[in-house]
Amino acid sequence: SERPALRALIKVSLLKHEPTGKPIILEGVFVGGSAGKAEGKLMQYHPLSLCNTSEDERQESDFITIVKLEHRVPRCLPLLDKARMALDKGAQAVIFDVSDDTNAAAELRETDSLPRPVVLVEADDAEELMGLVNKNEEANVVIEIKMEPKWPHYD
Amino acid sequence: AGNSSGEADRGTARAGCPARCRCEVDGLLHRVDCSDLGLQEAPSNLSVFTSYLDLSMNNLTVLSSGALSNLHFLEELRLAGNDLSVIPQGAFTGLYNLKVLMLQNNQLRSVPAEAFNNLHNLQSLRLDANHISSVPVGCFSGLRSLRHLWLDDNSLTEVPVEALSELPTLQAMTLALNHISYVPNHAFSKLGHLVVLHLNNNRIVSMGTNCFHGLHSLETLDLNYNNLVEFPTAIRSLSHLKELGFHSNNIQSIPEHAFTGNPSLITIFFYDNPIQSVGRSAFQNLPELRTLSLNGAANLTEFPDLTGTKSLESLTITGARITSLSSSVCEQLPKLQLLDLSYNQIQTLPSFSACESIQKIDVHHNKIEVLEENTFTGLMSLRSLDLSWNRLSSVRPHSFSALPALTKLDLSSNQLSSLPLIGLQSLTHLRLAGNNQLMELMPHEELPRVRVMELPYAFQCCAFVSCERRGGGLTWEKEEAADVTGRDPSILSSQDQDWEDFLMEFEDEAKPQHSVHCSPPPGPFRPCLHLLGS
Amino acid sequence: TEGPPSCPKGCDRCSEYNGCIKCKPKLFIFLERNDIRQIGVCLASCPVGYFGMRNPEGNNRCTQCKIDNCEACFNRNFCTKCKEGLYSHSGRCYVSCPPGQRTVNESMEC
Repeated sequence: SERPALRALIKVSLLKHEPTGKPIILEGVFVGGSAGKAEGKLMQYHPLSLCNTSEDERQESDFITIVKLEHRVPRCLPLLDKARMALDKGAQAVIFDVSDDTNAAAELRETDSLPRPVVLVEADDAEELMGLVNKNEEANVVIEIKMEPKWPHYD
Repeated sequence: AGNSSGEADRGTARAGCPARCRCEVDGLLHRVDCSDLGLQEAPSNLSVFTSYLDLSMNNLTVLSSGALSNLHFLEELRLAGNDLSVIPQGAFTGLYNLKVLMLQNNQLRSVPAEAFNNLHNLQSLRLDANHISSVPVGCFSGLRSLRHLWLDDNSLTEVPVEALSELPTLQAMTLALNHISYVPNHAFSKLGHLVVLHLNNNRIVSMGTNCFHGLHSLETLDLNYNNLVEFPTAIRSLSHLKELGFHSNNIQSIPEHAFTGNPSLITIFFYDNPIQSVGRSAFQNLPELRTLSLNGAANLTEFPDLTGTKSLESLTITGARITSLSSSVCEQLPKLQLLDLSYNQIQTLPSFSACESIQKIDVHHNKIEVLEENTFTGLMSLRSLDLSWNRLSSVRPHSFSALPALTKLDLSSNQLSSLPLIGLQSLTHLRLAGNNQLMELMPHEELPRVRVMELPYAFQCCAFVSCERRGGGLTWEKEEAADVTGRDPSILSSQDQDWEDFLMEFEDEAKPQHSVHCSPPPGPFRPCLHLLGS
Repeated sequence: TEGPPSCPKGCDRCSEYNGCIKCKPKLFIFLERNDIRQIGVCLASCPVGYFGMRNPEGNNRCTQCKIDNCEACFNRNFCTKCKEGLYSHSGRCYVSCPPGQRTVNESMEC
């Protein structure tokens, strides 16, 4: 039976702005079985950097990888292996912008062997996140499980 | 050599800096970058003290004779990415100190016959990514300092033996991505200092048995992606060889004593060959070998004799017909970390207790029936054990008792009726599906860290996930959370408890807190009560 | 070039966020790290510390040299130009030549 995907809350705080600034709250979907909490600095990876011929460009500090997937780039590795490679490079979590790669979600749905969270984002949430990357804005990201209230609240 | 250290005087162009070029002065010497300017010919007003000149990615079609002849201090000349199809004899006259010459990605059909003859100090020559199909005899004469030669990604149909014989100081050469089909005897006999030779991505079908004669210093040989049918016995003369690749060829067997002449081998890549048989002694006496990987050798029935190959860390032999392992496997391989013998016909396992460094054992898809008490005793580093798809009917009480690092155990698709949980406290992944006789309940306390479970029956999952699930929402809370609130946490609404406090509950979690994923998940049609089996 | 923004020279296909994603034939793609961004650029020869790896499909890439104190390399394990002041021998870089090897100062080799 297909497990319903858990939604993720992505809280983004810009490091170069005064600390009181409210975090930007975005949403995504956890890839099957990887739901959980994670925190780290946002770090973009080019899709070709997660291939079996890629370097092991390890970062020192805790970071969260974001990858904008392009449907026109020949897939050098299945997405699951890309996610694992990103986690092996030391990422605390991986965010895939799947706005331009419609079958990415299907490819990642049924898996339960990811050691740390992997989240898919698209549309406005992805646009905002990639906008920060494009401006090279240093940002700290916290990923959490979004609690879905079961019952609508009645007074 | 031209380099950017020292007090480089960036950006301020002086005399000797052609229009639109970017120049830096480093003491007396000038570094001039005229790349990507659409130039049709080499600039003329260059300083005689130019040591580095980059003319790459322009539209040069001709290099007139003597155009650069006053640049006696030039050490590096980059002409990559132009449209040069012919280079006249005098093109590089006067470049007495030239060390690096880059001509890759041009339109050359032949190596210039005489243009390089006076470049006595040249060390690196790049001719890759042209259309070279001929290498005239004598074209390299005079290059008495050449160390590195790139001829890859061209149209060579044979090894240019005579031309190469004039490069006694060569240390690294690539002839990859050409159309070479045969390597004759003594093809490289004068290259006694060659350390690296790339012949990958050609069409090599066969090689002379003495084709590598004379390569006394060779350490890396790349024969990957060719059409070899026979094992390259010519490697026997390469006594210093450390890295050998012949993966993605058509080789069907590896003979006895295959690597007798290569005691220094550290890595051998030969996957993607239709290898059917392997000489039992083929991989003996390779004291530096770290990894051995062999897949699909259907005629291989005996476990190889690995005497003298004592540094092996990873051994993979899958898809063969091995029926048993030698009992001395751990004595032969004291440093083994990964063992993968899946898809064989192994019936019994020896004791692995002498394999003290082993971290992963995969023997799934075999015919193993019994595990002894001492099969895995004392393996302090063992993290993952895959025994799925065997014929296990019984496991001794203490078979898994002393495995403190074991986190992943897969016993699925066997014939177990019970499982001793002694020693399995560190498990995070446990798979038992497909053991249809195994109906006992497993107390959660015995598996405190488990996160992913595949069990034979849904009712067995009840101990690990909340039994009632409504609204299809996957239960993600821990069991304790339910006890505290007395209700199934999945129906907590935001009013009952402030979300921030609720999230804080997980703050103390050292690592991301995961739910316990147990399948088959209990539900309305698979109740938690064990009726007649569900 | 395909779609805005127009692709930089040498690039066949690019995107706003990833820079180049496919270079023209014979060129190498280099994944340039700039703080949190990583974008693809197309080069005729790879920068210091990298070498160009060609493959039949034309996905040529700049790949890191894995040798200590090396500025340019032939493949992962063979250095062609050591950092200033170091001696090279069989593709490796040494502060001083290994035992049994004679020093050649003009070419900084053993």
